[in-house]
Formats: sequence, structure tokens, C-alpha cells
Amino acid sequence: MQSKRLFFIGSLLPCLMIILSLTGCWDSVELNRRAIVSGVAIDRGPTDEEKYVLSFQVIIADEISGENARGASPVVVYKGSGRTMFEALANASRQTARFLSLGHIRVIIISEKFAREGIKDMMDVFERESETRLSSYIFISKGQPAIESLTTMTAFGKIPANDLVEKLQTTSKQYGYNYRMEVDDIVRGIQLPGGGPIVNGVMVIGGDQQGSNDSLKDIKPKAILRVTDLAAFKEDKLKGWLQGDEAVGTSLIKNEITQIPEVVSIGENEYVSFIVYLSQVHIHAEAKDPEHPIITIYISEQAGLEESPNALDLTDPKVVNNLSELLEQNIKDKLHAAVSAARSLKSDYLGFGEAVERENPRGWKQVKDHWDSIFATCEIKFDVDIVVRHTDMRNNSFQFNNIR
Amino acid sequence: MNINGIHRRNKSTKGQQAASVHEGARFPRLTADLDQTLEQIDMELGHSPDLKIRQVKIGSKQPIQAAAIHLNGLVNTETVNEFVIGSLLGITDDMLQNISATEDLKDYIFNRALELGEAQLLQDWKEVMLAILSGNTVIVIEGFDTAILCETEGGEARSVTEPTTQLVVRGPKDSFVESVATNISLIRRRIKSSKLRLEHLKIGKVTHTHVALMYIKDNADEKLVEEVRKRLSQINVDAILESGYIEELIQDKTFTPFPTINNSERPDVAATNLLEGRVVIIIDGTPFVLILPAVFTLFFQSPSDYAQRFDITILMRLVRYISFIVLILGPSVYIALTTYHYEMIPTTLLINLLAQRENVPFPAFVEALLMEGAFEIIREAGVRMPRAVGQTVSVVGALILGQAVVEAGIITPVMVIVVALTGIASFAVPAYNMAISGRIIRFLFLVLAGMFGFYGITLGLIVLVAHMNSLRSFGVPYLSPIVPLSSHGQKDAILRLPLWALNTKQASTKHGGISEGKKISTGHEQNLSPEIFKKTEGPDQAKKGMQDAE
Repeated sequence: MQSKRLFFIGSLLPCLMIILSLTGCWDSVELNRRAIVSGVAIDRGPTDEEKYVLSFQVIIADEISGENARGASPVVVYKGSGRTMFEALANASRQTARFLSLGHIRVIIISEKFAREGIKDMMDVFERESETRLSSYIFISKGQPAIESLTTMTAFGKIPANDLVEKLQTTSKQYGYNYRMEVDDIVRGIQLPGGGPIVNGVMVIGGDQQGSNDSLKDIKPKAILRVTDLAAFKEDKLKGWLQGDEAVGTSLIKNEITQIPEVVSIGENEYVSFIVYLSQVHIHAEAKDPEHPIITIYISEQAGLEESPNALDLTDPKVVNNLSELLEQNIKDKLHAAVSAARSLKSDYLGFGEAVERENPRGWKQVKDHWDSIFATCEIKFDVDIVVRHTDMRNNSFQFNNIR
Repeated sequence: MNINGIHRRNKSTKGQQAASVHEGARFPRLTADLDQTLEQIDMELGHSPDLKIRQVKIGSKQPIQAAAIHLNGLVNTETVNEFVIGSLLGITDDMLQNISATEDLKDYIFNRALELGEAQLLQDWKEVMLAILSGNTVIVIEGFDTAILCETEGGEARSVTEPTTQLVVRGPKDSFVESVATNISLIRRRIKSSKLRLEHLKIGKVTHTHVALMYIKDNADEKLVEEVRKRLSQINVDAILESGYIEELIQDKTFTPFPTINNSERPDVAATNLLEGRVVIIIDGTPFVLILPAVFTLFFQSPSDYAQRFDITILMRLVRYISFIVLILGPSVYIALTTYHYEMIPTTLLINLLAQRENVPFPAFVEALLMEGAFEIIREAGVRMPRAVGQTVSVVGALILGQAVVEAGIITPVMVIVVALTGIASFAVPAYNMAISGRIIRFLFLVLAGMFGFYGITLGLIVLVAHMNSLRSFGVPYLSPIVPLSSHGQKDAILRLPLWALNTKQASTKHGGISEGKKISTGHEQNLSPEIFKKTEGPDQAKKGMQDAE
């Protein structure tokens, strides 16, 4: 019995060894055979043969943290074009010495020209490809070819794509109306009935030599990459840009605001500044009659008084109450601006249609096809509730005492 | 594997019987002739110069020839001189005349004259020889075919010192020594209970090693003790020089990297385990006692667990389990990440790794193999280094080699970190035998990760856990109390609850006051080997039947 067992083990082992060595390692790639792509720019080529022009920003790790740095550029951009995204990728990879690895793409930048034409075709490859991640950020390059944004040196961090990501994260956390929009969000936004996604804009300010280390030699950089307005889409086509109050209102309705400054006028050239935070939004649709829905935007926020260079008696609850009412009016104006912008762009990217569908699914089916006209005219109410929580480090300003 | 092991043992039992019959046939019993007896003993030991035969005459009127025989160095010379020979020489004619009718001279010496704690009458030749070889003194008297064994074991022995391998910050500082008697006393001093049972065995055809079996009646499962007794009695080898010999012969499964019997050189560990219902086997000539049954979690308990506060102990235990996982998976996860799953590495870290790997000539797998190999060499060399040069080796090995290899661009710095971390992690596992098995398994996972990445590691883990589930230690499932899950057992497995929570069942008087709070419950008697024997008999009989048919 023992010899049988030994024979069994003895014959199994070589078989296993052969199987292992035949299959083993087939898809292993050592790190020093990889070219890590940090960002992709998608431009519209001149012809349909070259419809997609892809630019890949590849990290040169040696220049960033290696001992053998040559003082050259920390990233290199490779370009390829083709009838499809994948063909363009394949063409670009012919120029690189290493495997283009898409696993670390942080940003995807699409040119405004292409965005106006429609972006839905290019989203498929980002979802399908096993390496790319759905959490890459999407940007629309405002008024410039997308490649411009990838070829600009940045001061913080040696990789421009990373710098852009950090800029977005910072601005979305503090004071900004831009918020994080990933591949995933865009794909879902395109499918929003009657609406479309909101995408961050990006642009390069300044001009020459932005792609060289020389650009950073001055205290004032020659070119700065900045996150800019919000691009509003109808389905997959770019319709217009939102800025200022419209953009803030849109972000508020989308419930993506973390902190935002708010300035309230209390007289001629007299202003009080607030920081508004903990914003919570609820969109409610009264849609018993789906042809004439009433949309109510409930929004509750908290605010802290940050700047009050005047003689207001902030210890008096009445004064603070009055201020918060003014603040509420301010927010209402912004929401209003956002809604009228959406109406003028004829795109329900704010998701009112969704609210109606939630409330009255059956009714929604009847109005789905002509929602655009209903959206343009339906009644919209705002219910804003703001509590001023604190006045930061002081209560009354020192000016209050002086006047006394 | 079990089947083979038991088969082998069975066969050898027969051999032992045959040998003893043969030996006994030459001199089955002592003769009454003193000179002949002495000559035989001298011959049997090959005229060994350390055989001391002291011939005396008892009485003066009608002197009777007698001899005290012992081996020099094995006995306590003072005892022999003062009590054995002294007693013999102290017998006067008056005393001889007073011997009553029912007694003869040997009975008189045995019953009245011998001033010794332990003595025994021997008639069997083999027993006499064994007694002499064990360090006892044997008195042979002219005209009697019975010898008197005087317990005079002694000689040079190491005294109880601090443990050298299993250190604790807080806890007792004594450790077992090579002498069984001392070791038993160390345990007895800790458990002053009449229920502490001790059984003696001699194992080894040539060495006749003294083996003691200890357990606490009612705490230890009777079936478990019976099983241990049986497996011990089936051992048939020439020599038992260390507890490892016995461990290997009585363990449930040979072909496994995991130890299924624990060992310790600390009396407090032995005592704790006895109280938990385990069996302790003490072997003469080694300070390491065997503790069984031993499940996986037992190897992650340290004696200081019960000296520290329970919350600290829980943290420490978690650290030990984590370090065991790091030990097994550390390098393989690194390989899998860098060669197959680079997208799982944070971008900033990836850039650093990329820059490091830029000019390294070998694939990460070869790199890991080289580095782990080098580490094993340093460790193996360090174990047997004389103390004077030990430090040099660690400095050369760890510092210079580590630094130089990175500077030469052969190995990436991260790999050195990973290897060093796994090396340190192997020392965080309290049981050395468990740490070694982790080191072996690590290489298996290294190969799997090199070939299949995380897919291979996952497959390996599945096989590993399945294998661990198949293991039994004297019938107890190896992964208990986790698999099969026992809420009672969780109290002192990975966690350690406060002592009062462990002893909730102390009030039960069923076991006469000894706590059964942490008593291991086998509850899996079907796994004990009587069943295994039945199973193994099955195919054998079938085979016989087939042969008959032919």
C-alpha cells in the first residue's frame, strides 16, 4: 500500500511541476517593464479616420524619486489616433518602450470640441477595460485642446495629473463649487432622463513654454493649470458653462457643497461674510398631476459668521436672526439662478425629472417624452433654512465699542 | 500517513518481545552463587572500569560474603558509602543471632538494617542490570538468588536555572532540567493536588529512557490518557534522547508543516496545561516536556498572558496572529502586488517602487528568493555561532549585507524591508516550532505568488486552511475552538477574558474543586485512534481476503 501511495505522489509531483511551469507567470509584468499612465487627454481629430486623438501622460519614475534623475521632464506625453479609442491606444503604445499601464489613470480630459459633439462613445472603453478605474476624474478642457492641460508643468507635485486631482479635491473641500466627478458619475449622468452630467472644466492660463521645466523657474509661473467652470450637458453633449451663482446653485442642488463663502449685503458697500457648511438638500416633487408638477427644494444649512466689520450687536439674537434671513434670501437667489440656467440650457441636469419619477412612477411614463417642455414651465419652490451657529473667535467687532 | 505509522509501530512491537525473550534466556534469574553473579555482571558490562564492586563480610563468627555493586559517577557516592555499605558493615553477630525464624538474612537487611528510603528485592537478571545502569546500587549476598536494589541515583546534574529559550517579562524564572525527578518535583510543587497522576515508562531498547506521563485525574479526558499511554507503549526504537523523538513517533500526522504537540521548558506552562486537562510527557535527559493535545491557538499563547492584564494580553495575542500572517504572506503579497496587481498600489508609492526597481536586474520573485535565502543562511549560521562571534555575524549579516546589497543595485530597498519584517515577525510567534513551520509555508506562498499572483495566494490559503482542518491532535480538531466553533472555547483562544470570566464554572464541585473553567473538551472521541484502528484494519483484512482468494 505504501508503494502505491509513493507512486501516486511521485507521479503527481512532476505533473504538478509541469503544469505550474507551463502556465506560470504568463501575465506577470515586472514593474520596470511598465509605463504608468497618469492622465489621458481626448481630442477630436480632423477626420473620421483619426476621430480619437489620445494623449497619454506617462510617469518617468526615475526623474521623480530615483537617484539617477537626469533633470529631464518628470512626465512624457505620447500621442496616438484612430477610429476607436482602443485603436488610438494601440497606436500610441507603439512609441513607448514599455507597456502602457492604465491602472493609475487619475484624470481623463476631454476637449470642449469633442464634448459638444458627444462623449458617450468614449465612455464604454473606460468601463470595459479591466485596468482602468471608474474612479478616474473627468474634466472638460474649456476652449482649448485637451492635450494642453496634460502638457503643463505644475508647481506642486511633479506629475501634472496628480496636481490637477489635488486642485479639484482642495477646491471641492473648501470654498469651491467644483466637486469630484468620476467616470462612474458621468456614465450615470448621461442616462439621467431629460438631463445630463455635470463635468468640471479645466483650463490653462498663461501661454508659452508651459510644457517645460522653465515654466516653473519664475516665482510667477508662466502657465497655471486651473479647475474652472462647470460644464452642463444635455444627455452626452455639452450645452454650456455654468459659473458664479449659477454654478454654486447647481452644486447646492446636487448636494455636493462642503463649504462655501456667502456674502450678505447689509447696506451700501457694507457686507457681512459667512461660511456656509453642513448643507443638506432634499428635492421633493408634488406630482399627482404629472403634467403640472410642483418641485420643492428643501435645503437646510448651517453658517458661521466670518467677517463683520461694522457695529452690529451680534450678541443680540434678533440681529443674528435677521442676518440669517438675509442669508436665506442669498441662497434662494443662487438656487434660482441655477434653475434658470438649467432652463435656458434646456437640460434637466438638476434631477427634477428623477424626483417626479420617484414620486409618481406611472405618471412619469406619460410625461417622459415631453418632459423638456414641462421642465421649462413647471412651478419650483425653494425652502431654505439656515442657522447661524457661531461668530467664530469674537462676538462683537471692536468697532462696536469704538462707536459707543 | 496514520495508517503507515501505526502499521510500523505494530510490527516493531513484535520485534521488542522477541529481543527480550532472547536476552532473558541467557540469564533468566540470578543464581545463588555470589562469585558467579559478580563475574556475570562484570562480563555483561564488558569489564567496564567504572563498575565498582565492594565486597564485604557480614558478621565475624560466620562471615557471609556480600557485595554492593554500582557504577561510578551515576550514584550519589555519599549515600552508597554511608547508608548502603555502612548498613552492611554495621550488622553485628548479635543482630544476626536475633534474626527471627520467619526471616532470612536478605529479609533482615531489607527490612531492618538498610537505612535507605527506597529499596526493592530483585530476582530478574534484566532488572538487576537495568538498576545498576540507572545509577542504583545492588546488594548481592552469597547464598541468595535475590538481590537488593538500593535507590542511590545521583551524580552530577545541572541545577534549575532560568529558561533560555522561552523567556517572559513577568512570571516564574525556573525551568526544567535534564532530570525527570527534578522536573516532576517542579510540577508537583505547583499543583498540590492528590489528583495529579504520574506514570512511569521506560522507552528505548538501548537507552531505556525514563519517561513520565503526568495528568490530572478528572481534568484530563480518560480516553485521551488511554490513547497517550497506548501510543507511548507502541513506540519501539533503540534510542530516545530528546522529547522530539517521542513527539515524532506519537503525533497524529507526519506529513504536515504544523506541530500538533507543544513543548515547553517552563514548569508553569506545564502546570497550566495540566490544569486545562492536557497531558504532559517528561523525558529523561531533556528539559523540554511535551504537552498534548495541542491545537493551533495554543501555540500563540505565552506564559506571560496570564501575568499581564487581560486587555494587554488580547492586544499581544492579536499582534502574534498578525505577525504569523505577515510571516507567511509578507513577501508573497509584495511579489503579487508588484508583478500582477500594480493597480492596487497607491500611485505615490508605486512611483517610488518604480524608481527603485529601475536598475534592478532580477525579477521581483528571484529578488525575494535571494533575499529570503540569504536571511535563512544568516539565521542558520547565527544559531550555532559561538557567543564570542555571534555579534559579528549579526552585524555583518544584517547591516553590512543589507546595505551593500541595496547599494550594489541587486535588491530593491523595499524588498529588504519586506524580508526584514517577515524575519522579525517570525520571532513574534511565541512557539519556535510554529515559527519554523511558518517559514516553510512562506516559501510555498512565494512560489504561488510568483506564478499566479493573488489568485495563487488565495488558492494556497484555501488549501492551507483545508489542510489545517484535516489535522487532529490526539483526536482534537486542530483549529478548535474556531472550527468547530465553540463559544465556550473562545474565552481563551484568540481573546483572553479576565480570569474570573474564564473560571465561571469553578463552582461546580463535580471535579472535586479543580477548575474545569478552561478544560479542553474533546467532544470528538470518534477521532481518537480506536476508530482509526478500526478503519485501518478494514483495508488490511480486505487485502488478506484477496490474497486468500488468490
